[in-house]
Amino acid sequence: MFDFPIFEMPTIGLRMLMAINAIIHVFVSHGGAVGGSVVLALAAWWANKRNDMASYETVYRLLMVFFIITTSVGALTGIGMWIHANIISPNAIGGLIRVFFWKWFIEWIVFNFEVVLLLFWFMTWKQKALTPEGRAKSVRFGIFYAVSSWVTMLIITAILGFMLTPNFDGQPWVDPEVYPGNVNYNNALFNPTWFPGLAFRTFSSIAFAAALAIMWTWLITAFSKDEAIRNTREGLIKLFAKIMIVTVPVGAALGYYYLLQIPEAARAMIPTAMMTRAFADKMDLMYMIISGIGGAVVVTTIIAYFSPKRMPYIAATLMVSAFLLFWGYEERTREFIRKPFLIYNYMYANGIRVTDVPHLNKVGILKHAIFVDEEKKVIKEDKSNLIEVGHTIAQIECRACHTENGINGLKFLTKGWSEAAIRNRINNLPGGGTPYMAPFVGTEAEKDALAAYIASLNKRGEIK
Amino acid sequence: MNWKLPFDIPLVVPTMGLPGWFFDTLGIIVFVVHIAFIYTLIGASTASVLYNITGVFKKSKTDDLLAYKMTNPTTISENMGALWGVAPLLVISVLYTGFFYTAILKVSPHILHIIYGNIFAFLLSYAYKFSWHSLHHHKGFHIAIGLVAVLTFYTLPPVFMSMSNLYLQPETFATVQNIWDMMLTPLTGFRLINFFLTAFSFTGIVMIYLGVKWVKAGGEDAEAGHLAIDQGKKWFMWAAPVNIAVLPLVFFAFSPRISEAYIHTPFVFAPFAASVVLTILFFFLLKRFGTSEMNLSDATKAVVLMVVAVALMATARHGIRVVSFEEPLKLQAEATEKYMNDVIAEYKAYKEEMKNAPAVVLDPAVSLADSKGCLACHSVDTALVGPSYKEVAAKGESADVLIASLKNGSTGKWGETPMPPQTLTDEEAKTLVEWVLKQK
Repeated sequence: MFDFPIFEMPTIGLRMLMAINAIIHVFVSHGGAVGGSVVLALAAWWANKRNDMASYETVYRLLMVFFIITTSVGALTGIGMWIHANIISPNAIGGLIRVFFWKWFIEWIVFNFEVVLLLFWFMTWKQKALTPEGRAKSVRFGIFYAVSSWVTMLIITAILGFMLTPNFDGQPWVDPEVYPGNVNYNNALFNPTWFPGLAFRTFSSIAFAAALAIMWTWLITAFSKDEAIRNTREGLIKLFAKIMIVTVPVGAALGYYYLLQIPEAARAMIPTAMMTRAFADKMDLMYMIISGIGGAVVVTTIIAYFSPKRMPYIAATLMVSAFLLFWGYEERTREFIRKPFLIYNYMYANGIRVTDVPHLNKVGILKHAIFVDEEKKVIKEDKSNLIEVGHTIAQIECRACHTENGINGLKFLTKGWSEAAIRNRINNLPGGGTPYMAPFVGTEAEKDALAAYIASLNKRGEIK
Repeated sequence: MNWKLPFDIPLVVPTMGLPGWFFDTLGIIVFVVHIAFIYTLIGASTASVLYNITGVFKKSKTDDLLAYKMTNPTTISENMGALWGVAPLLVISVLYTGFFYTAILKVSPHILHIIYGNIFAFLLSYAYKFSWHSLHHHKGFHIAIGLVAVLTFYTLPPVFMSMSNLYLQPETFATVQNIWDMMLTPLTGFRLINFFLTAFSFTGIVMIYLGVKWVKAGGEDAEAGHLAIDQGKKWFMWAAPVNIAVLPLVFFAFSPRISEAYIHTPFVFAPFAASVVLTILFFFLLKRFGTSEMNLSDATKAVVLMVVAVALMATARHGIRVVSFEEPLKLQAEATEKYMNDVIAEYKAYKEEMKNAPAVVLDPAVSLADSKGCLACHSVDTALVGPSYKEVAAKGESADVLIASLKNGSTGKWGETPMPPQTLTDEEAKTLVEWVLKQK
């Protein structure tokens, strides 16, 4: 990060900026595209097979909702992941694109099929619904759309798996002591969490999509003026509940299997990742959250299955909310347990590579910060700009996770600390109960400057 | 020149042995497809709102039908435009990583408008399309939705073009501080004029093509088709001549270093060639201006000529990249190589040092204190948030008092800041306190 221009997001911080986009994307891509395509293709096939034209029409209305959300919010937040990564961690996304360029290119080609098939399926539905042959064709569009959505997930989970478990031991993906780094693309691709992650995501996405379909079926049937449409609720909700009865337990089992593949050090951070550091030891609370979410899903599925017609709206909403919480937690945890790394054992969360550290400790982090003005990076003899220089260091090394005075703010975290205490803490960032923090990189003088800056945050406005 | 360039990513570019021209051609092709859809999006969404308005004032069903029919090309082109925008970005970010990311960072957070602004416009344009029949008696409201969507689409090119102009001219990295520094330059102005003129001439041709198809289909559609052909011709005939004049100028609005070098490359002919193709297309349509009876073969020829003109513009733009990046890419490669050699040498030395260093044997109590987070606030010999362990030991409190303080928390003994209760077994608390008391 140190050699790119500095962009700061005040108050909410870079992490939250990324999280907003990422969570929205996961909701829509998993529930809307990957899971939604399977669930809706299945429902269309089911309705057509039973020659139940009212249900077939309701499925079209469901597809309209899914179409609108996935093609706008889903597709653009997908591109947004890139743009956000560009401005938050250019070194990391730049490295990932160098390693996965062709896989991303293949994904883009499959993405073409996905979008075109969805456009075709949706925009020709009405016209094709008139004849049985047309409907059979239409259902086939849906199936191909489902397959292509899944293939895009197949590729992207390889990249997510790589960031967490890039096979550094035993199967190196790159030799860090060679420039330019010659990547072993197979070792990078076939990383140990790829398939477990994919399997878990596939089934949980279908379950999530079925829950969304239940909620939307409820809404569509409740507000339709057409008696026939209103009567489709029972059959469709029961169908979606059946899908959930299969996918929820399978997804949970695969999720557990995925968890077992994660490195020990990363797994130990899960309670902290789910809540905050204060809960690092509170395993029981973590289990309570998990069983609360799981219980809500199971109970509402049972209601949907046994009483699809009278399923209360509140249960459908609860079901979807449980899934939203689940995906939110899942993504937060997956991102957090990788800390302090962005690419495990290769690059820290602030974009500094592990191999950079000894050199930068010698020459200083600021020597190569070319986009920073001289007076903000060279400490003057009288040390009058010490705090400004420290601020620059915080912008380079801390800002990926901390803000000045907002979320995870340095000011709040060091309230009541003396400058000596801060200086001492900087010496040992990954220790002291915070194994997810990257070590300080830079010279002793830079450490002084950073300590002076952080200490100054709680002194502002004080009368001297 | 005052170059400020970031280092390159120290991993090989995965070309799979393919030559440079392969990636250049790939970049141009995917960009042409992307921009063709974007031109259509801008034009078609505008046409839909305009004819919706005229439909109300003229009480014309045909105008209203044309307006509705234009929502289909809008939906298709917004989806495909976004989709094909990904491929050029992918090619650019793997080949010119440092320049592209620097430009994006310099125009942040405004660049995020191309995500969030786009989502907003997308959703509104869907609302506009799918509420056509249900809002039939609330035309004012309906038109307002469409208008806001179109105006939001119009705000996207200035943002994206500022980023693109910054990235194409790496010498500006040293001086440009934010998006406005680049948006308010003559270059961005010229390129935006060129963009909107091309968008309306391109959509004009698309409307002629669609119109011919609708006329062929007959019935109600035929009337909308004639209207589309007429409007398409008008848009092209207005926009193309101005564009013919503006187009060659765009490529001399880049920085002097680039413009001067550009003249000496064959790329300089590309914008003129594009102007010539547009002129041919202009006369081709002029011959058929008075009549709305156009056949499909004429319309197809017009589309082909228009695409050729756009491809020539894209080639001219690619030429800027070739000319502009030659020197900075070389400088960047040299700087990166020097830096990485230093880094790797230092890293090897460090590893050697670690290998020879004696192994540190940690007291189990220290590891326990670390794992329980004690060392976040305490150290052995310096007061941090809490007192140092030496100070605690020197105070001479009994082990039982300290164990109680650990388990229940404590405040007041060492100042206001409280120590929260810690989750520990009796055994662990005892181990820790015994170790602390040894630190005197």
